[in-house]
Amino acid sequence: PPRSAMPKHEFFVDMTCEGCSNAVTRVLHRLGGVQFDIDLPNKKVCIDSEHNVDTLLETLKKTGKNASYLGEKSAQ
Amino acid sequence: METKSIVIGVEGMTCNSCVQTIEQHVGKMNGICNIKVSLEDKNAVIIYDSKLQTPATLQEAIYDMGFEATLADANP
Repeated sequence: PPRSAMPKHEFFVDMTCEGCSNAVTRVLHRLGGVQFDIDLPNKKVCIDSEHNVDTLLETLKKTGKNASYLGEKSAQ
Repeated sequence: METKSIVIGVEGMTCNSCVQTIEQHVGKMNGICNIKVSLEDKNAVIIYDSKLQTPATLQEAIYDMGFEATLADANP
């Protein structure tokens, strides 16, 4: 399917500041193979990736923050 | 038990939430006697059991959380 039609995975990550979101950005970059948007005010991270949900959630939890899977979010 | 003390430079923290996350996460690791993270000094002072942890494993633990961790001079 075209990339724009792929569902994105939405996660809750308990971020409170720029430092937190930067930490999330770094761990996701180090994992590689991900495209993502971080919504700091709503504490949400939207990820488009070939990796499965478990891998993504484990990666997010590496930051030491509370993280949980919210579900798929279809592309607009 | 042989305790040692180390100072690790930490870049990327911007608020007390980042500080607490690192203190809680690293503090839960085996062989950590005490950890004090300073936002102002941008470092972490860790007292650890040298049989269970090494400067490299401590640096890696902070790096894995999404921060830049650098080993300062072990004997300042």
